Amino acid sequence: MSRPSAAAAIAPLVMTVFALVSGTYAVSVPSAEAIPAFARKYTMNCAVCHTAPPRLNTFGERFLENGYQLPGTEDGGITAKKHLGDLSLDDFANHTGGRLRGNMLRSHNFKRQSPPAAEAGTVHNNSELGFPEIFSLFTAGSLTKNIGFFTELESNMEESSTGIERAFVTFNNLGGTNVANIRIGRMDPSATFSFSTLRQQLELVGESMNTSTDTVQRAGLFPLAASAKFYGLRNRSGTAISPYAPSLYNAVAETGIEVRGRPFGDWFMYQVGMLNGANETFGDSNKGKDFYGAVRFDYARSANFSASLSAFAYLGNSNATVLTGAGQADVNWHRYGMAAHVRYKMFDLYGMYTLDRIAHVPTAALANFDTSASGLSVACDRPYAPLTAIRQHGYRRGSQPAHVPKLRRGSDQTIRAVQCGPVCSKRLQPPTSRRRQCSGP
Amino acid sequence: MMHAKHLKYAALLIVTGLCASTAQAVKPATNRDTLMEGRRIYEQACAWCHGIGGEGDGPAGWFIGRYTSPRPRNFVNDGYKLRSTASGELPTDQNLFRVITQGIPGVMPAYRSLNERERWQVIAYLKSWNSAFEEETPAPLTFPSAPPGPTEAGIQHGRHLYVKLDCRVCHGDNGEGDGPEATAGHLRDADNLRIRATNLTDPSAWKNGASSHDLLRTLMTGLDGTPMPSYANEFDGQEEALWDLVWYIQSLSGQQGR
Ligand code: HEC
Ligand code: HEC
Repeated sequence: MSRPSAAAAIAPLVMTVFALVSGTYAVSVPSAEAIPAFARKYTMNCAVCHTAPPRLNTFGERFLENGYQLPGTEDGGITAKKHLGDLSLDDFANHTGGRLRGNMLRSHNFKRQSPPAAEAGTVHNNSELGFPEIFSLFTAGSLTKNIGFFTELESNMEESSTGIERAFVTFNNLGGTNVANIRIGRMDPSATFSFSTLRQQLELVGESMNTSTDTVQRAGLFPLAASAKFYGLRNRSGTAISPYAPSLYNAVAETGIEVRGRPFGDWFMYQVGMLNGANETFGDSNKGKDFYGAVRFDYARSANFSASLSAFAYLGNSNATVLTGAGQADVNWHRYGMAAHVRYKMFDLYGMYTLDRIAHVPTAALANFDTSASGLSVACDRPYAPLTAIRQHGYRRGSQPAHVPKLRRGSDQTIRAVQCGPVCSKRLQPPTSRRRQCSGP
Repeated sequence: MMHAKHLKYAALLIVTGLCASTAQAVKPATNRDTLMEGRRIYEQACAWCHGIGGEGDGPAGWFIGRYTSPRPRNFVNDGYKLRSTASGELPTDQNLFRVITQGIPGVMPAYRSLNERERWQVIAYLKSWNSAFEEETPAPLTFPSAPPGPTEAGIQHGRHLYVKLDCRVCHGDNGEGDGPEATAGHLRDADNLRIRATNLTDPSAWKNGASSHDLLRTLMTGLDGTPMPSYANEFDGQEEALWDLVWYIQSLSGQQGR
């Protein structure tokens, strides 16, 4: 844990205005985030795969794992068959989907301290009417048997940025059914984890940070266990990493390659991967690669019930930096974590615990710095037609400037959130003219 | 215009014929090996919805209709909807093969990705849960062959039957699924879940197929486990009249003669 005197010494790093989140409630009504293209391709309701889009149910999880092919089959290129020279607008539509994300209405409630430690903090209540902040365009599907692809272009109006959020290719069922599935490209490593960073979140309400002053103005509504946790860590270009940013195994997108499979049946999954790491969009400036491995145990053999337990280790290799006074020094930032989920009928409960460690912190910076931090996030969702309510609780513990008052014993930060998402059950049909009939008595 | 349409139907018929003939060719005998293979396929592909024990209670089963119809079929106890056999009877193997090949719009994917042998293997396995399949061999009804048509008078007569038989009570005056029983929310399936009366102007959502033969089959067999009744008894001995109803329903979506 951070020592008060030490923390005060990292003044240049310390946030001058710190938003202490006593409670961030976001009631968001995002548009459905299922990929309508899949629903169209298979003529299925989104609810076949999703609990509340983009959250996946057990069938949806296996569909994703199988490289966007029906679980237990290798249907790429069979369903919605395409031949060269026979590409139509429909075919394109079968692979493409768009989504708007954002809060139509959100309400925050947090305490703000300005400047640090100088006052008790004022409570800010804020309700804003918003416009969908993020527009994403997906194309995803299977190119042919056992070759899948996914690209997501994102236009983020809040951050006024547009670019490739994720883009990868998958090669599935190599060496036999579910023995090895390879994913290459810019991807989210935790996609198949029991608590998937992106898919278990209705909406990522991003943190708001002033990068010129390293100031966190609003804590992100983000599973704290999956977040960066440390104050004062910087990426290799020297920009401060927000303690609320998704990172490492729980990153939104990192470039690399991974292999994953269930060679012994549905009950056990392995995953190993190698990433450029270091939060870089393109290129790889650091000397090392980051490695991760995960295992997952599943149970889905009782009535209306499924559960899983997963664990991972992520080993970073000069994937972050700290300021030493004399300059910037590389550190190795590791994370270990466990997650579990239990789903009965439509009630979903899941949690994740992570432990971060920073190795090779130069002695000069050591006094200012905790080398470990932990996080816990627990969430559950329960549908109340036509909305699904999602409650999320999390705490973060670890390296933190001393002036930030503790919320309660043992927990440095707590975020509670309730989100509501629409239940999607709209039936999507392919154009009638393209259906092939095969009927008989 | 007319020409192109005819060609399309011809092509459709050929596809239909191909499906029917090749389907029979590879059907394996029901023995231990077939059942073991069937089980493996079932547990990887079907159990997510239909449950490991076939009782319609797989981990994803509740999400499909949420609190409305349908739940995945319970292969141990339930009857079947999509048959060519009389109401209350078991389906034929061909009926099951068709469902797995075509899927069920909205709720169950089409499994053309399983080869035909695999489809037969999984059928053998799911039948093994219901001992009634051992005791009887379901026989399809005899369906009247299609008279030349559709004629304007036939469609008129079909409309007359539609009103007389009270189809509109559930399916609505114009077949849009908005009849008084449906909009009042009175319709329930065998699981006591609310069920919608099908929109008869949108053939792509039909579970039992949209060709004229498919429709005739639906009317004669009914969809067991739902409020959609069989009309075989009403038309006993004069099944030809049902063709007029078929033409009329197809006229609602402008798809006559398929
Ligand atoms: C995504 C969920 C899902 C999957 C996966 C699935 N089914 Fe189904 N299946 C359903 C639902 C839902 C029904 C009931 C539809 C209805 O009643 O309208 C159904 C009904 C059926 C029926 C009964 C049709 C009738 O005439 O009543 C059969 C047979 C069947 N499925 C076989 C299979 C087989 C074999 C597989 C695996 C190859 C499979 N299903 C995979 C959801 C699924
Ligand atoms: C008591 C209400 C009721 C009556 C009367 C009724 N239906 Fe239905 N019908 C239904 C319901 C409910 C379904 C949907 C079943 C399902 O989705 O599983 C249905 C489904 C259908 C379908 C679609 C089958 C498919 O392939 O999906 C057709 C066609 C149809 N009905 C025609 C008729 C005609 C023609 C009549 C009159 C002769 C009629 N129905 C009378 C309730 C009714």
